Amino acid sequence: MLSIKDLQVSVEGKTILNGLNLEVKAGEIHAIMGPNGSGKSTLAHVLSGKDGYDVDGGSATYKGMDLLDLAPEVRAREGMFLAFQYPIEIPGVNNTSFLKKALNEIRKHRGEDELDAIDFLALIKKQMELVEMKEDLLKRPVNQGFSGGEKKRNEILQMAVLNPELAILDETDSGLDIDALRIVAGGVNKLRSKDNAFVVITHYQRLLDYIIPDHVHVLSEGKIIKSGGKELAFELEERGYDWLLEHA
Amino acid sequence: MADIYPDIKTWLQEKSIDTHASDYVLSPERRTESLRAVAENNFPTRKDEEWRYTPIANVVNRSIQSGTDLSIDADDLQEIKQIVPEACHVVFVDGQYSAELSDDLAAVAKQGVDISPLSEMNASQGQLAEAMVTNANFSDTNIFQYMTLGLVNSGLFIHVEQNTEVEQPLHIIYVNGPTKSAVVQTPVNFIRLGTNSRFTCIQHFVNSDESKAITIPADFFDLAEGSGIQSYRIGVESDQTDHISNSYARIADSARFVSHQYLLGSRLTRSNTEVLFDGEGAEAVLRGIYLGDNDQHLDIRTYVDHAKPNCMSDQHFRGILGGKARGVFNGLVMVQKDAQHTNAEQSNKNLLLSREARVDTKPQLEIYADDVKCGHGATVGELDEDALFYLQSRGIGREEAAQMLIHAFAAEVTQDITIGSLQPYILEKLDKKLSEISGP
Repeated sequence: MLSIKDLQVSVEGKTILNGLNLEVKAGEIHAIMGPNGSGKSTLAHVLSGKDGYDVDGGSATYKGMDLLDLAPEVRAREGMFLAFQYPIEIPGVNNTSFLKKALNEIRKHRGEDELDAIDFLALIKKQMELVEMKEDLLKRPVNQGFSGGEKKRNEILQMAVLNPELAILDETDSGLDIDALRIVAGGVNKLRSKDNAFVVITHYQRLLDYIIPDHVHVLSEGKIIKSGGKELAFELEERGYDWLLEHA
Repeated sequence: MADIYPDIKTWLQEKSIDTHASDYVLSPERRTESLRAVAENNFPTRKDEEWRYTPIANVVNRSIQSGTDLSIDADDLQEIKQIVPEACHVVFVDGQYSAELSDDLAAVAKQGVDISPLSEMNASQGQLAEAMVTNANFSDTNIFQYMTLGLVNSGLFIHVEQNTEVEQPLHIIYVNGPTKSAVVQTPVNFIRLGTNSRFTCIQHFVNSDESKAITIPADFFDLAEGSGIQSYRIGVESDQTDHISNSYARIADSARFVSHQYLLGSRLTRSNTEVLFDGEGAEAVLRGIYLGDNDQHLDIRTYVDHAKPNCMSDQHFRGILGGKARGVFNGLVMVQKDAQHTNAEQSNKNLLLSREARVDTKPQLEIYADDVKCGHGATVGELDEDALFYLQSRGIGREEAAQMLIHAFAAEVTQDITIGSLQPYILEKLDKKLSEISGP
């Protein structure tokens, strides 16, 4: 589904990703771990099409398409989803109408009929139970005045409604208490299927107690320096990152 | 048959010589005095501090025509009326009251309103109108005001009787037909609210793309104790129309003046609103959006005079400027020495959609009392890139995402509109214009 080969990315002349390789297949959950400044968020941003990153070399192919050549909205319509580390507040844009608009853009792209207000509300109510979100948050402007946990739940709600093929979760666990973490992880686990894939970017191992990854990768200085199964995450929890960095 | 004059000065000279002025509606002394002021004052230039950001050479040098054939498209007018279907509609064509196109004013009178076109005022109405002009103490006096007062030949006199809540809004529509040269229109409304009365009025300046006009209106509001008005001004005139307006409101004890301005049209707009608190416990709420594209120039001025204690004023204006458009916001809140416990808020936010768009904003506070709560602020910014990316990352195209953000920026002001059908109309107008606006 996603194939990243020798990806090199810089920001204002400073190299951040330095020859990154990653293969993600449908049905898999990949965890990308690493210390601060290793390039985790840059990877998430580049994959979702944020401005301000220069691709200096390598490639990223998504469902056979040159991903880096697609506009951010086209990536989303093709089934990619980024759960933001810091979800943006958008005053004046209603949470429900925003999400309805987003879903219908994606449906249009797929050649499906747009959902009307009634069908959409039924869908969103169902998915809200998944993330245990209060209904009044739907009536508010996008993320405005939401607590940290509510913002992250709103990301997972969006993910549940848009039903992506490839979801990238950028430090979704940061700033979450254990209850919120459980709910967010529960959402991911319920959405998981053989047809979709998740890339879970995290600094800490604790999210991986709830979302069990198939593959764990350690990112350091813009490269994956070690890959393994879920046991690698436990090892990192016990030993920290230093032993790996010394080897690298 | 229309007479054509090369510029406004020549036209004014001709008008001043016309000693009959049989259509003039205020006192002969008012006319003499105002026209003398017109003759003695020059048109402001950029050297005048109050006009520093608003060049009016293009207004002064327009060719003017007097007399029009008063032809307008009946279907278009019907459409405009339908924007507020429940309202009583009063129509002015080229600044002249049209009984034929207007609803019967008797229906409004039945609801407890003494209402009359200025041309048909009786003696007591005329005296009240005259007094409202005399008592208005504009901080910004200029030649355009004198022109309006020296030439006024149309408008409405409205007096809402005490304890009367008028449910039906009054929709005043100003239209122009297609002309070769600019028509000068100087309508004036005198709106008086009796004790504890309520009134809603919409002034709608709307003309066709072929219309050429210089609109120089004035409004005088007088709110007695406990009364309240919702006053709307909607400017959607053609890009061959210049619009320079002055409003003056006097507010007595516990009265509430709410003004909404949606200025989307015209080549040049300058809107001056002045509010005097002449009683305690009163409120003034001023809302406005100005949206400019191409070479449009939109200049908003407010002056709120807290002359009495315990009053509240709340101003919120937002500008959206694309193309080479320019916006000016100049708001002054004056808190006099005796105006303790004043609560005054003033905010002006601007969104620039192109590199060549520009805004000059100057929110000002002058405070001479010591126990007050006042705040003011202005921002000028571009669209939030992070918000754009967030919307895009959910599948919404960049242009549409930009529209959503601008729409949201405007909608925070339009949510205060109290007339159900007016809000969608304004937002639709905004969206239509935004979709045509030239980006960076």
